[in-house]
Amino acid sequence: MTRLAVHTRTTPAGPVVELTGELDYDSSSQVRDLLPALALQDGQQLVVDMTGVTFCDSSGITALLAARNHALAARAGIALAAVPDRVSRIFQMVGLDQVFPTHPTAQAAEAAWTPPATRP
Amino acid sequence: MSTGGDSENGEHRHPGKQPGEDHAAFSALLEDSAEDLYEHAPCGYLSTLLDGTIAKINKTLLDWLGYDHGDLVGRRTFSDLLTVGGRLYHETHFGPLLRMQGEVSGIALELKATDGSRLPVLVTSTVKTGGDGQPLLIRTTVFDARDRRAYETELLRARKEAELEREELKRLNATLQQTLLPPTLVNVPGLDVAAHYHVASTDMVGGDFYDLFPLSAGAWGLFLGDVCGKGAAAAAVTSLARYTLRAAAVYDPDPAAVLGNLNTVLNHEYNGHDPRFCTVVFGLLTPEGDRGGFRITLASGGHPPALLLRADGSADHLHTPGGQLIGVLPDAHIATATVHLAAGDTLLLHTDGLTEARPARNSDGDRYGDEALLDFARALAPTTASAAVAAIRDLLDTFGTGVDDDTAVLAINVPRPTSEEQP
Repeated sequence: MTRLAVHTRTTPAGPVVELTGELDYDSSSQVRDLLPALALQDGQQLVVDMTGVTFCDSSGITALLAARNHALAARAGIALAAVPDRVSRIFQMVGLDQVFPTHPTAQAAEAAWTPPATRP
Repeated sequence: MSTGGDSENGEHRHPGKQPGEDHAAFSALLEDSAEDLYEHAPCGYLSTLLDGTIAKINKTLLDWLGYDHGDLVGRRTFSDLLTVGGRLYHETHFGPLLRMQGEVSGIALELKATDGSRLPVLVTSTVKTGGDGQPLLIRTTVFDARDRRAYETELLRARKEAELEREELKRLNATLQQTLLPPTLVNVPGLDVAAHYHVASTDMVGGDFYDLFPLSAGAWGLFLGDVCGKGAAAAAVTSLARYTLRAAAVYDPDPAAVLGNLNTVLNHEYNGHDPRFCTVVFGLLTPEGDRGGFRITLASGGHPPALLLRADGSADHLHTPGGQLIGVLPDAHIATATVHLAAGDTLLLHTDGLTEARPARNSDGDRYGDEALLDFARALAPTTASAAVAAIRDLLDTFGTGVDDDTAVLAINVPRPTSEEQP
């Protein structure tokens, strides 16, 4: 049995979900179950901080894609922060490096976020 | 060590005089005598000599078993009351433990009644010692455990039922799995083909799939893929993927077009909070006529690269960079690569259950990995389809329970001309 710790914090740019542990079949539902409760505003950005992720398989990818769909449905963006090398290799293999913007740290992801222009 | 019934008689407690009359009346109402309490207690009492001879036994226990006082006291041992199995246990465990610890509690045994029935009981014994610390006799309480036994029987029955259901589930899973794979691989003239499907868990259907089938004009289609997740939901996607690939290949055998079709179908079918996708390699095999061998064009949607094991003993990944997994993005990028398979060349397709396995020999649970597999392929080359698949099977066997996910392998090989095989 693998363990995944999920911690959520809120920033002006939007929620940051910090994952620590293995993101696999057993644990990915933790991330997916969390999504509906995430307060995500139009124009905000959901950041998934992957600093502590030691492994990510297809179920983990599914969870991240569900997060992406959730963000897009809320007209928000999604970005990954601190993707470990072995996980980023998997992302390259499945071609997701072109789908998820990535940043070296959660802070950098926040800094890269620009508040939405005032809508008419 | 000869203490008899006399000593036990000395143990009788006499109801003491109470200081207040009310108290005495209250006490009398509760228990008129300790003797009566002993005889008619809701549990059995039994005292035996150190050799097991019954010295004293209460009415409750006599009634349970159907004996009279005279049948047992001084004539039989406690062991005589037990079933054969119980007697054995009493002699090998109960007795020695009691001698060692001076007390044994809560032991489940069965007593034989005179009518032949068996009474499940819980037995607690203590050794009574004299002033000099020498053991004198053994006191035993016997609790009726029929209710408890009934409960245990019920538990056992429920467990048996659950096991039967689990067997049934396994059978269903195995059947479902089989419908997702070709019963046997077709015979392609001029090609040696082998495949293997490794089931990681008999409780859950995996999402790996492969097939090899004829297309028009002497061409052949093959695919191998992996649907994310496991269980019935994944199996439904696997089934959809398989049939879509077969149908799409008939419509337009161009590998990138086939995967593009599958992408559209899956993307329409699954999105939102339950995205379903697969990684898949589709290959179009065409015999190369006069040149000999086959040309294969592989299209990959985010799948681990195939391994090409050449006749000259070299081996490498056949990369299809930039291909995206199938079913998530409205227009996934699909990468293709074309190679010529000459005599002695082997192409090996696999799913990531193999590279993501945790071999027992890897300390701290490290995964097997792509590099290790490439080294394995290099050691294997040159090879044949059946030898390559057999080697992967052996490799998976060495991983044992370290394989978390189902694994599919499919190998094709252009056999060397028979003359070359002769030394």
